[in-house]
Amino acid sequence: MKFNKLLAVGATILFSAGALAGCGGSSSAKAPADTVRVMSKDVIATMDTSTNTDTIGSQAASNTMEGLYRYEGKDIKPGIATKVVKPSADGLTYTFPLRKTSWSNGDPVTANDFVYAWRRTVDPKTKSQYAYIYEGIANAKEISEGKKPVDSLGVKAIDKHTLQVTLDQPIPYFNELLTSSFYFPQNQKTVDKWGKKYGTNSKTLVFNGPYKLINWNGPDNTWTEVKNDKYWNAKNVKVKKLQYQVVKDPSTALNLYQSNKLDDIVISGDTAKQMRGSKGFNSRQMNSTFYIEMNQKKQPVFKNEKIRQAIALSIDRPQLTKQILGDGSTPANSVTPKDMSFDPSNKSKDFVDETSASGNKYTKYDPKKAKKLWKQGLAETGNNGKKFNFVLLSDDTDAAKKQSEFLQNQLEKLPGMKVTLSNVPFKTRLSRSTSGDFDMVVTAWNADFPDPINFLTLLTSNASYNRGGWSNSQFDSLVDKSMGADANNPQARWQDMKDAQNILNDQQGVVPLYQLGEAHMTQTRVKNLEISPNGSYNMVSLRIHNK
Amino acid sequence: MLKYILKRLGYMILTLFIVASITFFMMKLMPGTPFSNQDKLSAAQLKIMNEQYGLNKPIWQQYLIYLGNLLHGDFGTSFQFSNQPVLSLITSRLKPSLLIGSQAMIIGSLLGILLGAVAAINKNNWIDSLATFVSIVGISVPSFVLGVLLQFFIAFKWHMFPIAGFDNWQASVLPSLALAVSPLAQTARFMRTEMVDVLNSDYIELSKAKGNTRWQTVVKHTLRNSLIPVITILGPLTANILTGSLVVENIFSIPGIGEQFVKSIMTNDYPTIMGLTIFYALMFMVMLLITDILYSLIDPRIRLTNDKEEN
Repeated sequence: MKFNKLLAVGATILFSAGALAGCGGSSSAKAPADTVRVMSKDVIATMDTSTNTDTIGSQAASNTMEGLYRYEGKDIKPGIATKVVKPSADGLTYTFPLRKTSWSNGDPVTANDFVYAWRRTVDPKTKSQYAYIYEGIANAKEISEGKKPVDSLGVKAIDKHTLQVTLDQPIPYFNELLTSSFYFPQNQKTVDKWGKKYGTNSKTLVFNGPYKLINWNGPDNTWTEVKNDKYWNAKNVKVKKLQYQVVKDPSTALNLYQSNKLDDIVISGDTAKQMRGSKGFNSRQMNSTFYIEMNQKKQPVFKNEKIRQAIALSIDRPQLTKQILGDGSTPANSVTPKDMSFDPSNKSKDFVDETSASGNKYTKYDPKKAKKLWKQGLAETGNNGKKFNFVLLSDDTDAAKKQSEFLQNQLEKLPGMKVTLSNVPFKTRLSRSTSGDFDMVVTAWNADFPDPINFLTLLTSNASYNRGGWSNSQFDSLVDKSMGADANNPQARWQDMKDAQNILNDQQGVVPLYQLGEAHMTQTRVKNLEISPNGSYNMVSLRIHNK
Repeated sequence: MLKYILKRLGYMILTLFIVASITFFMMKLMPGTPFSNQDKLSAAQLKIMNEQYGLNKPIWQQYLIYLGNLLHGDFGTSFQFSNQPVLSLITSRLKPSLLIGSQAMIIGSLLGILLGAVAAINKNNWIDSLATFVSIVGISVPSFVLGVLLQFFIAFKWHMFPIAGFDNWQASVLPSLALAVSPLAQTARFMRTEMVDVLNSDYIELSKAKGNTRWQTVVKHTLRNSLIPVITILGPLTANILTGSLVVENIFSIPGIGEQFVKSIMTNDYPTIMGLTIFYALMFMVMLLITDILYSLIDPRIRLTNDKEEN
């Protein structure tokens, strides 16, 4: 039995080693007084604002860089520009006076930093996937297609602190666009010095924003941002340090939150359902909606508006968002998201509220009315009593599968309707949508900039994203008018877009399902962690109220 | 021995070339583009992007270019992490995976051998049953379930180790334990079966007859002879751990390589897919080579070269 004794001794040593090592790890978990610890859903892919493609990168850029403007709540406030600029009478020229401030390396921030950064983004050599965001600025499209030289871009440094931008056509939402990280300036000296390495780790960066990124080596799971004392508005930055930690597993996030290791976490699925209603739970609306496109080319019956309205009416959206998704998403009565765009003369009037009369007509669950309209639609199209088998195309994530099953269950209550589910990977869904290989597809759109036109242009007759093929000439002409004749008249343009949205709502050209939400748990000591209409958090207004 | 290793290295390069070639062409068959916002790019924009990355060239040309770069040690730059060289992506995210993986292998195989040996010596009594029970549980409970349990009780409830992250060595303990269970159970089962066989052989009887104590018999004759089959499975087990650590890495927020591999495939990040495939293939082959060398060290009857009478 000697051997067994040895085993016992070995095991004891192992366990006590483990216990000893553990002593270092335990703590009473008191939150640092001047630091906010935030969970990030993913790593920063790049800090180069010219090549960034995701919200994590935009957030890190918003925290560490300053563009012409910055969102404060729902309002656009001056950043490097000293005021929010109105365009010339023809809507084509913007002249920005810039404030005197400096980069973290001491260089002054000049108009040329903007000219340099913008040219670099549209230059095909930079390989920016978001160069198209610049379309509308003079020659941007031609430059990004390699047809014109880079220096023909409509942006000019009048002097060291005056920037002038010329547009091809009026862009009514240009000031909103300018809040996005794609329009941030870059310090030419630094970019030239590091070349391809620029933005791949924190050593290759200089900052002109509220925070400086430190200890970031590229694909790291953690990074730190410390207050930048050279930031022009540094006196209003009250939180000294932001600490980011990538967490992918919702239950890990919750464990970290409940042990007071993180101040703000994102949760989803069962974890979100379980925490709903508890202290610290909150959900934030994204500028992203999910909707069903119905393929009129493949199934001509979808050309009938009553058929589409019947489909819209047979879906119980509150049940979908609460019971099935549970991630903070909210029922949508419009493809245009809520809390994103507001009446130019009255910020309290949300675009979606303004069009909710038509929006609510067919998006409130009403199976009786649905059946009635369905039968009428079938009669009108000469399909009385006919049986239909539709393929519902969607993604293959867990949530998407559950959602498809729910929709199948709801839609099959329409007499004669059978729904076959096809859950495929994202890329396959896209290619099948584009090639028209579907009857119905659940599509999502995430705003590139906070303006309803971003969503309305998806559904004009010749839009490449209009895969269902819904077409309405009045809708088309209203969208055109808002971008052409009325582009310089904010109020008339607002009315055009509302009218267009009302037509879309009445016709149910696409069937809106829900607006994407993100469920969070936030420690009560953290205040003003609010998402801006452009999808980023403004960390300048972030506060800590320690008890 | 040296000749043998050189020969094996030659085969390895050949195998790597074949693996790289097959992967390259299969990867190009996947639908989609490496551009994360491809649903927002128009046909014209997509064309320009493809030209810029050389993706508009015929696939055989792209293949030759890739191989040419590879010979110069250039693995290309990642699409997901723009301008980040694939090599630095792999090296920076590999360290945590390697640390956790090797800790798991060491804990798992050593405890497994111990457990198997104890079970074999105590064949058919309660200790054996207990050991068998432990290894069955170890095989049936997936590492991620164990990971969640370890995290909840040991880290969250009892504060013995960090919940997640990779700030210090302590943070690697729980993920290593979670990953160690599968190799532990497997080696324990192999070890027990093998050792029961060995214990019944004639030379063990002889050893006892010579007056050696049980302890001496076990250490001198039994353990060493039972280890050979166990070593056979260590290679594949190690590869399993390295490629399969993704879920455990996610649970403990370890900045490891497992997830990057899956993500690179999901996002058509061609250079990263290639780099990681080559890397994993290399690792697997090195593990096999090491196990083969270990054989010859443990069992002198096994010859690596055929320059003696044996083949």
